[in-house]
Amino acid sequence: MQFHYSSKNPLYPMASCAFHAMHTRVEMLVVGVERDRGEELAHMLRERVCDMARRFNRFDMTSPLAVVNARAAVEAVSVDDELYMALQLCEVFRKGTYGYFSAAPTLKGAPFVLCDQSHEVRLQSEDALIDLGGFAKGFALEQIVTLLRSEGVGMALVNFGNSSIASIGHHPYGEGWGVGVENPECRGMQAFEVRLCDGAMSLSGRTPSGEYHIINPHTGVKVAQDEMILVEGRSPLVAEVLSTALYAAPASERATIMQSFGGYVATEIYCRGANVKCRRIE
Amino acid sequence: MNRKEFLSDCGKIGLTGVTLSLFPWLESCSDKTRQQTSGEKVRMGIIGTGSRGLFHIQHLLQMPNVEVVALCDNYLPHLDNASQYFPKAKRYDDYRKLLDDRNVECVIIATPLYLHAPMTIDAMEAGKDVFCEKSMAYTLDQALEVYNRRQQLGRVLLIGQQRLFDPKYIKAMQMIHQGVIGDVVGVRNYWYRNNDWRREVPSPELERHINWRLYSEYSRGLMTELACHQLQNGSWAMGMLPERVMGAGSLVHWKEDGRDVYDSVSAIFSYPNGVNMTFESIISNKHFGMGEQILGTKGTIDLVTAMHYTDEPAPRGSGIHQLIEQIEQGVMSNSVFAGTSWAAETSSLAAGRPIMQDVKVVSGESSVGAEADGSKELLEAFVNSVICGKQPEKVLEESYYATQYALLADKAMHEGAILTLDEKYKIPYEPLK
Repeated sequence: MQFHYSSKNPLYPMASCAFHAMHTRVEMLVVGVERDRGEELAHMLRERVCDMARRFNRFDMTSPLAVVNARAAVEAVSVDDELYMALQLCEVFRKGTYGYFSAAPTLKGAPFVLCDQSHEVRLQSEDALIDLGGFAKGFALEQIVTLLRSEGVGMALVNFGNSSIASIGHHPYGEGWGVGVENPECRGMQAFEVRLCDGAMSLSGRTPSGEYHIINPHTGVKVAQDEMILVEGRSPLVAEVLSTALYAAPASERATIMQSFGGYVATEIYCRGANVKCRRIE
Repeated sequence: MNRKEFLSDCGKIGLTGVTLSLFPWLESCSDKTRQQTSGEKVRMGIIGTGSRGLFHIQHLLQMPNVEVVALCDNYLPHLDNASQYFPKAKRYDDYRKLLDDRNVECVIIATPLYLHAPMTIDAMEAGKDVFCEKSMAYTLDQALEVYNRRQQLGRVLLIGQQRLFDPKYIKAMQMIHQGVIGDVVGVRNYWYRNNDWRREVPSPELERHINWRLYSEYSRGLMTELACHQLQNGSWAMGMLPERVMGAGSLVHWKEDGRDVYDSVSAIFSYPNGVNMTFESIISNKHFGMGEQILGTKGTIDLVTAMHYTDEPAPRGSGIHQLIEQIEQGVMSNSVFAGTSWAAETSSLAAGRPIMQDVKVVSGESSVGAEADGSKELLEAFVNSVICGKQPEKVLEESYYATQYALLADKAMHEGAILTLDEKYKIPYEPLK
């Protein structure tokens, strides 16, 4: 883990850290803390994220999620509270997004059944494969923000792979944290501006190398759309799920999905060279 | 440092520092040598005034210490072209007559490959210093004969391997020898064009005379015309010679016009330390153009573009770093970093750094020559060497082996064999390292 401390501005000393988890780079900036405290928070955060990453990693054959994928089609599998809660939330979001978000996007309909009493999960089909890739970053950010708040942090920004960002409080010299969305066709050029204050944002679209990777659960195929979908709102988890669902959904159904998510703002961002077109989804 | 400054520095640091041991031949175009030769003049003859000969003439016109006194070509239109630049120069249609001209001190030979060795030997035996176009010879035996005769006769002999005088190559090799890219683990050379490699022929009986490159009776095709330029990169970078050579060649596209040299070749040169150098050339696709890359454990140097790429690129300024800088300075502005997802900065995507300023990149498309490719410096080095009567060190050995390995690879392709250079062709060679 990279750790950096700066007290160049004595009014606002800062601790920052960066590490790799969940196939991406996680960065945190906490303002107004002593060096030791900052280092302690950085280690706590890393431990928490890495533990979650390990347990939600379907490619790690020893992870609870891999066990579900391997066995739950033939028998009910008991899972820990955190994974159970994650699966519950996935199901809530699947229904709330008219099926455009799914923890098993290659399978149409509900991919699993949960038993609240026993905390057991049963896959609906042998073809069902739970992948929390479109959920875990938001879920982790939600927990990081909760953790930092409980530790008394009042100004912080956490960046999960540039696509999921959450804030606590505001920038020391502004009313929010100014985050520019980069135009993917013009490196370094801003396509859209976001002000985060005790809020989060999530961005979905093609990968930086231009690949389509988000699957429409209704068709089981990758969505080939060139615009990005930006969602802003209080919860990083909701923002994460919603941006994925809106990207997967046809443009005509996006406004309908948004009606269920009061307090969240979604924007379509379309870049063609240096030209940028933005449209709020409502 | 731009080209001019670098060349000037070659003179300054080359005579005292490590650079001279790596590039001893640069003394011949250093400031010190220029001063020594200032005011002197050489009387030069040009044998072969076709496209490459005319290319050299453009440089000679800028060199006050050269007087072109004789021109020779057995194709009249070419001779007429050259005469326009030097109307007072004597005209010959037989190079032996030019060599008999006592007014001629030195010659440039820019003729078809099969004539290089006999003309070079004849010229040296006639007491002339020689600049001959690459490759040095048409056969392995001829190359050895040229080298041995030069040793016996003591004339100045330079071969047209201009990369050895190209500032960006010199700078790159200096960095490689300083360990900037770590241990050299691979050398890649390629040269792609998409044209038939033909020259216009005014009359059918002149086909083989003008398009000699296409016929194995006169040429070894892509290996001697293109590869020869690039094959010195491996030995220059690693200070050793290849141990084994293998390759394959074929006519894949330009099959219908009667040529019999390959239009597609791939060759591997394996060094004693296990490192391989490759050369590939296809003349029916030009997408990748010309490339010469030295691959090291810590990075890569692209010799053609004079760019250095590290294998551990520094991540571009992250959003958090931007925010830290803002807060340190007590300001706020947008940090543009949000995107659809984080992407690792792999070496292939990371921007490289130029190894020197003012670099002119040569595309390799022209079969005549290009500006700023070291040709002018090479010619200047030749003229200075003639005036000083001193053969530049080590450069002939580099040219010799570039030719021998180009010829050996061509042989390996035709025989379908893995070949080693016979001991009898090995000349004293002190690695540049």
